[in-house]
Amino acid sequence: MGKKDGNVRMSLQTLRVLEVFLEDLTQQLAGADLHQRCGIASGTLYPILLRLESAGWLASQWESMDPSSLGRPRRRLYRLTSTGLRRAGEVFASFNRGVLA
Amino acid sequence: MSRRNEQSRQPDLHGVTHWLIRRAAHRAPESLSSRLEEEWLADLESRTSTLSRLRFGLGCCWATLVIVNDYARSRVPAASSAAAAKGFITLADRNFGYFSLRSGTLFLIAGLHAVIFYGLVTTLSHTHGSATPPNLQNQPVNPVPPETLPPPLPPGMEIKGWTIDIRKLVADVPPKIDVENDVTTQVTETSPEPSTPQAPETPTHVVQQVTGGPGAGFPETADFYPSLSIHLGEEGISTVRVCVGANGRLTSEPTTVKGSGSARLDEGALKLARAGSGHYRATTEDGQPVNSCYALGIRFQLKR
Repeated sequence: MGKKDGNVRMSLQTLRVLEVFLEDLTQQLAGADLHQRCGIASGTLYPILLRLESAGWLASQWESMDPSSLGRPRRRLYRLTSTGLRRAGEVFASFNRGVLA
Repeated sequence: MSRRNEQSRQPDLHGVTHWLIRRAAHRAPESLSSRLEEEWLADLESRTSTLSRLRFGLGCCWATLVIVNDYARSRVPAASSAAAAKGFITLADRNFGYFSLRSGTLFLIAGLHAVIFYGLVTTLSHTHGSATPPNLQNQPVNPVPPETLPPPLPPGMEIKGWTIDIRKLVADVPPKIDVENDVTTQVTETSPEPSTPQAPETPTHVVQQVTGGPGAGFPETADFYPSLSIHLGEEGISTVRVCVGANGRLTSEPTTVKGSGSARLDEGALKLARAGSGHYRATTEDGQPVNSCYALGIRFQLKR
């Protein structure tokens, strides 16, 4: 069982997703991008994204570019919110303390 | 050819994947249904291989189950408080369908395991309780006509109805003594036409032949009784043809001439016959050991 942090269950996969967002705070990533970066399967990835979004750690919006110009359907893009940045920082700090202790 | 099949199959799998995603999204909470369908179909485009797309579609089905579960957990407290105010619960989403599905699947798996376990236990206990199952006794799988049992024997070969009783062996009866007794009996039994009047008038020298058999140090039948046969209560006599040299060793591979009705027992008999090589007592003619072939009946019988 993962460690609970508010409404978010802190599993190893959740930490990996957060880690990807923390690498670049300005980036907006679709589920397909996260799958390529983390290697997490869709059955696990999308529930994590929805949990983080419902907890306010992530925000999502549709891709603003015209799908016809892109040649593919528009994607749902996720970005880390300020709340998510703060909470994720706290989570990683607590894990680091736990490891160092 | 296979590439053509793969190409013709891809549109079908493509449709299957889209169907999986649409169905998964449809089963999601209504507020998320259309969004998840569009998002998943868009992310599906990044997958190139057919297998990857199919895995993605199946993953979306699993994701729906998890999302519905999460959604139900987050909505139940709110619904409870609303129910207290309104007097009833209004959960429009298919939240509890997941629980019934998951619980049903778990119960189904547990039930199947229970049925299989019960079947094994009852079957094994039944077979273990009866020492002589009726369907295993006196019903050879490949019965051999009696007239073919002793095929036309070459000169110097004699059929010997040797039997090894596991009860005697287990009871520490010296096998050597049994050998001697049975051989004597066998010689008298297999003597052809003892009462013919021509026998005493034969002017030529009659060779005193004593058929061989298991000698000292011959392995015990109990050591070759298949454990499964013991467990199943299988018994029977397997007749094996052995060719033994003057040195007591097998000169050729033993063969089954009449099965016991159990392939396991027949195999055990062959193993016993092989293991006994070097411990056979050779057939003697006028006291001199000679090469010979004879049939050996090996009885597998359980202690009562």
